[in-house]
Amino acid sequence: MVPPLTLEYAGRSMTSPPALPSASAPGARGELLASARLFVEVARLALRRQLAYRAAAFAGLVTNLFFGLLRSSVLLALLAGQDSAYGLGARDLVTYTALTQGLIVYLSLFGWWDLMQNVYRGDVATDLMRPMSFYGFWLAQDAGRALAGLLMRGLPLVLAYALFFPIVTPTSPTGWAAFLVSLLLAGLLSFAYRFLVNLAAFWSPDARGIGRFAFTIVGLLSGFLMPLAFLPGWLREAAGFTPFPHMVGTVVDVWLGKLQGAALARALCEQAAWTVALVLLGRWLLGRARRRLEIGGG
Amino acid sequence: MIEVEHLSKHFTLRAPTGGGGALRSFLSRERRVVRAVDDLSFRVGAGEIVGYLGPNGAGKSTTIKMLTGLLVPTSGDLRVDGVVPWRARRTYVARIGAVFGQRTTLWWDLPVIESLELLGHVYRVPPGRLRSNLREFGELLGLGEFLHTPVRALSLGQRMRADLCAALLHDPHLLFLDEPTIGLDVVAKERIREFVRRVNRERGTTVLLTTHDLADVQKLCRRVMIIDHGRLLYDGDLGALQDRFGGERRLVVDLAEAADVEVEGARVVERDGPRVTLAFRREDVSASDLIRRVTERHAVRDLSVLEPDIEGTVREIYEKNLLGA
Ligand SMILES: Nc1ncnc2c1ncn2[C@@H]1O[C@H](COP(=O)(O)OP(=O)(O)OP(=O)(O)O)[C@@H](O)[C@H]1O
Ligand SMILES: [Mg+2]
Repeated sequence: MVPPLTLEYAGRSMTSPPALPSASAPGARGELLASARLFVEVARLALRRQLAYRAAAFAGLVTNLFFGLLRSSVLLALLAGQDSAYGLGARDLVTYTALTQGLIVYLSLFGWWDLMQNVYRGDVATDLMRPMSFYGFWLAQDAGRALAGLLMRGLPLVLAYALFFPIVTPTSPTGWAAFLVSLLLAGLLSFAYRFLVNLAAFWSPDARGIGRFAFTIVGLLSGFLMPLAFLPGWLREAAGFTPFPHMVGTVVDVWLGKLQGAALARALCEQAAWTVALVLLGRWLLGRARRRLEIGGG
Repeated sequence: MIEVEHLSKHFTLRAPTGGGGALRSFLSRERRVVRAVDDLSFRVGAGEIVGYLGPNGAGKSTTIKMLTGLLVPTSGDLRVDGVVPWRARRTYVARIGAVFGQRTTLWWDLPVIESLELLGHVYRVPPGRLRSNLREFGELLGLGEFLHTPVRALSLGQRMRADLCAALLHDPHLLFLDEPTIGLDVVAKERIREFVRRVNRERGTTVLLTTHDLADVQKLCRRVMIIDHGRLLYDGDLGALQDRFGGERRLVVDLAEAADVEVEGARVVERDGPRVTLAFRREDVSASDLIRRVTERHAVRDLSVLEPDIEGTVREIYEKNLLGA
């Protein structure tokens, strides 16, 4: 596509052997740029891989929709003629099922085992050996996968709901912006948590049990299986000390407009803080895993 | 280029102690130390192709894993161009290439070309350079026919070629090949050897090669290192190794009519009608002298000299423990 570049490079390589081409990258900024480029490239490949399975995505979408409607009708039956339950009206409840069903793929709510499989297949060793951030590489892959989940499952599902039901939507530009921020943070937080869980594979010869447990907890305490407001008081309070509500519940509340002003700011800050904490923990544990591999040979 | 001094890698295993199985061994916490690499010292200069040989479990892969920064040594010194691999991993691995025959370094579910292009980004290869390398290696290795096939669907030979290309895209100075011809047919092996030879000659890439196929060594390496039980048994010229241990050359003589052949400096090892096989040592008599001696006494229809093959040599070294480990 850019033949002059080839020629120029070939000319340069005559005088100084092309031993270390990356040495020509200008300093820290070049380094950052190259890393960003790699991130985008990895995410793009992951996105494209998902987009290739359109038929499967459609089938998944229909399933999500079906269960969404089922969950809506159960929740509406719970209302039993009242206007609202635990502060949630009929429209809120229907919207809640639309959002949670739409987030399943984006947040891998039914579990995520990619890194674990990679460890057990023995492929991690080669990825750890590359001149790149291992954590960043996996984050990029998951970003692509998650984006595909939003485009092929989340968005169509909410649109389909909107066609047939009077669902609630954010009403102001700030509301939309807050929702997008919260959605992004939830994605990162969910990745950080799933990565952490998958790291167990470095220590345990079969960490699937740990994984199943870890992902069940998410379903229960994040507000995915049922609205957090429905949980018994003590459990809801306990959940408040964990990152889980910030994976699903916060996103839903922001969309529904239940959080405003200072409460909204606080929720987003907490969400961000948990994200940073889990990312740091994951990176630290990855360092430990790596050292274990280097010493024990896996 | 590579400097290794008193390098050791020991693995600690929890050994089952007799009956009782896993639980018992877990409780007893008895430990067994495997000395995978034990007090190894050697140097490799720029531009060399060195064959790294040894029987199964000798410690070859463990050495390569340390040299590629994947394993941290238990003790000893290891430097490549003055750099300690596992300490400066990011910068170090950008300058080396590695192929592990037993396992691909490409991404399992990506088509070959996408894997290669992604590696271009990982190693920050300038686009022009990436394209010219892809073109050159693609041609030499014949990647064209399966560039768009996902790696998991490749045959072993195709995968190995793709891996080899991947390992060299970023113009590494130093290439580690751990059994690059394992499981391949003769034609595929030959293609890989030709490629390695060419990269070494034209780009000056230093190569450290482990293999169980001694034809690889014979065709690529002038220098070999042999290890067993983690210790270096031999380090030197391939020819000298053959001279020292390969022992005898053979002279096959087809006589005009069957006769007893007795010549100085050689002994008869086989007799099959008019065909007589003589064994002799380089130190005792040269091939031409021996042929003269035979033809002086007998009417000869045909002659051929067989050099000792390295396969037999190395097998003998392993089996008879000739180097005295
Ligand atoms: N991670 C590990 N934990 C425990 N022992 C190990 C580990 N890796 C290797 N070993 C042991 O170290 C020794 C050397 O193994 P290595 O893989 O280096 O041999 P090799 O020379 O490559 O053999 P092969 O020709 O079979 O590939 C063997 O006894 C092996 O069992
Ligand atoms: Mg090996």
